Amino acid sequence: MVSRPNLHVKDRVAVVGAGITLFRRRMLETPRELAWEASKMALESAGLTLRDIDCVVIGSAPDAFDGVHMKGEYLADGAGGLMKPTVRVYVGGGTGVFVPIAAWWHVASGLCRTVLAVAEEKMSPARPHPQGVFAYIWDPILERPLGPNLIWIFALEMRRYMHKCRVDKETIAKVSVKNKRNAMGHPAAQAAGEITVEDVLNSEVLVWPVQRLDISPVSDGAAALVLASENEARRITDSPVWIEGVGWTLDNTHWYNRELAYPRYVNYAARMAYRMAGIERPWREIDFAEPYDPFDYKELHHIEGLMLARPCEAPKLLEEGWFDRSGELPTSPSGGLLGVGNPIAAAGLMKAAELFWQLRYEAGPRQVKKPVHKGVAQAWGDLMQAGTVVVMGN
Amino acid sequence: MAGQWGKNPWGVYKFPGKMEVEKYVYTPGLHGLEMAKALKEGRIVGTKCGETVYVPPTTLCPDFGEGKVVEVSGPWYVDAYTVIRESLEGEKLEEPVVIALLVPEDAEGGLIHYVKAEPEEVFIGMMVEPVFRPAEERKGTITDIMYFRPVPEGA
Amino acid sequence: MSEEKSLPGTYLRERDLQSLPGIVEHRPDVKYLYSAGQAQSMFLRGLKDGRILGVRCMRCGRVYVPPRSYCEYCFAPTGDWVELSGEGEVHTAVVSYISTFRERLEKPEIVAVVKLYAPGYTNKDDEYEFAGMFHKLCGVGEDDVINGRVIGMRVKPRWRPPEERIGSVTDIECFEPVQS
Repeated sequence: MVSRPNLHVKDRVAVVGAGITLFRRRMLETPRELAWEASKMALESAGLTLRDIDCVVIGSAPDAFDGVHMKGEYLADGAGGLMKPTVRVYVGGGTGVFVPIAAWWHVASGLCRTVLAVAEEKMSPARPHPQGVFAYIWDPILERPLGPNLIWIFALEMRRYMHKCRVDKETIAKVSVKNKRNAMGHPAAQAAGEITVEDVLNSEVLVWPVQRLDISPVSDGAAALVLASENEARRITDSPVWIEGVGWTLDNTHWYNRELAYPRYVNYAARMAYRMAGIERPWREIDFAEPYDPFDYKELHHIEGLMLARPCEAPKLLEEGWFDRSGELPTSPSGGLLGVGNPIAAAGLMKAAELFWQLRYEAGPRQVKKPVHKGVAQAWGDLMQAGTVVVMGN
Repeated sequence: MAGQWGKNPWGVYKFPGKMEVEKYVYTPGLHGLEMAKALKEGRIVGTKCGETVYVPPTTLCPDFGEGKVVEVSGPWYVDAYTVIRESLEGEKLEEPVVIALLVPEDAEGGLIHYVKAEPEEVFIGMMVEPVFRPAEERKGTITDIMYFRPVPEGA
Repeated sequence: MSEEKSLPGTYLRERDLQSLPGIVEHRPDVKYLYSAGQAQSMFLRGLKDGRILGVRCMRCGRVYVPPRSYCEYCFAPTGDWVELSGEGEVHTAVVSYISTFRERLEKPEIVAVVKLYAPGYTNKDDEYEFAGMFHKLCGVGEDDVINGRVIGMRVKPRWRPPEERIGSVTDIECFEPVQS
């Protein structure tokens, strides 16, 4: 069932610039201003101006967060999209990594030489809490009458994963500890810090087994990348980062009709991306990864979906320090959503941007210890449905 | 939350729902904050990019640089207008309301606002001026301007 | 990013927000009327009668609960309706201490995914997919969830009295353990 992409693309695609705003609980800027700040920084880092950009790809999660309908059109000027071929893409929480995927095909097809890829999310406008907006992802007839909270679905998945893989909360909490520590090197970080497993286990129990510190914070923020065709990229920079593979899949909305311990949709997306990148043994060939971590267990779950560990093996490797920044296969060296923050679409693109910075050895205090050649970033979205994967190399 | 069985041949069930957000709180943004402060003082500002001033202020210029906040003095004219005779619910209004795109002569863009005049009197190119609420009622939002009114003859 | 340079963005604290001019508030007043569609309407009608109905794909043999009008894998219309006993086993369960809007609940709720026994379900995909429902659990304690005893437990629906049923998933009050 894994998709078999056409590998004969017209243009190789490189990332040549990246930008990001602060991630914070609430920002003064309007959504389009946040998009503009990140876009401007990405252009400046590539030494380009808006005039050098052929096409624009925008990503943003549900309109109901920012409280602005047609968010793509609304963000267009801030994302540099006026009077250019501009499109907004959306696959729930998977949107952030879908933005570079969509930007990739704009360039790979030969249609655009340069693309500004922008993701923005402002979750602070909805009151009393953005949880009210999340209520809308549930089925109105079969699920919402039960009065669900979004955290239920994660807790159910986490509980299943713990049962199937015989993992305890102490082990899972170590993901949160690791990522919040990693984020101390990230200038955008909202929830960085030195915490302990006990802190996680003593934090407020929301929906057992999920506690306050198992979850990433609610944030406003934006991120942007500049993509270019091979010819353009070589003109722009001496150190382009190549997008070597992309993959994405969507499962159905009936999340309670499938085994929750393993993310099949992520696995299919990963296989598609690895096939394109010519990667046969990802656990050996991938040097570091940015798996999606809105919840701590999700990072382990996604590491397994990405085939960086066997099913149920990630917790053991985590205990051995395998995924530390100095480990064999560092995961979320950025600090992830748990540490840097979770402005949904922008958080996913932050992960893709981290591949760019790491592969250029520009991650400063976050730079992983080992030499890096290939990295993978992944996001997940909707009702345990969407997998988006991008593989980059230098 | 009970639904009802439809009176169609398939007996399809209808189910009511409601938007479960209590309210949205929107921040004004960077130049929007300057606009808010100006409105409280009974002024209107725009963003200057190169030689052009944009109203309302936009923060970012078309070339992606940051603009400068400058005061817009007008005079304002009616660029386009329409007359509202029914409410959102479709009921006839006692008094028709004139809505117009109002553009200051020294800037690009414009504001959408009410024009306090008889519908027959309004014409494209008519000169108007903003009328602000009393200072103590202003909140820094667009409704700090109550409406625009025709510039009196000879003014 | 290698050099320490401050990023764009202006953080607002809640109290900054209250004193800021130019804040605009809006209260959405949006109401919807959803149609359950043919397959789900049949399912809801079944619930009103105290029955859990599924629908079978005649090509691949999957039994869908909740039912769909089409098989999403074969992309063909689904066929016969089947009545399930309602019994199943707990796939996963959690204890919720918060409401939809994140307020603390006085009494925590136990929520579960129940994998339903479906007669003649030929699952070719190694048990990855199954007929199932998302619902509340009763008759078990928080400890049973935390120590994992509840997972795999045999459960059945506890129905509301017929006169209280309205054709909703809440016609099932909860799933409760099958006494053996």
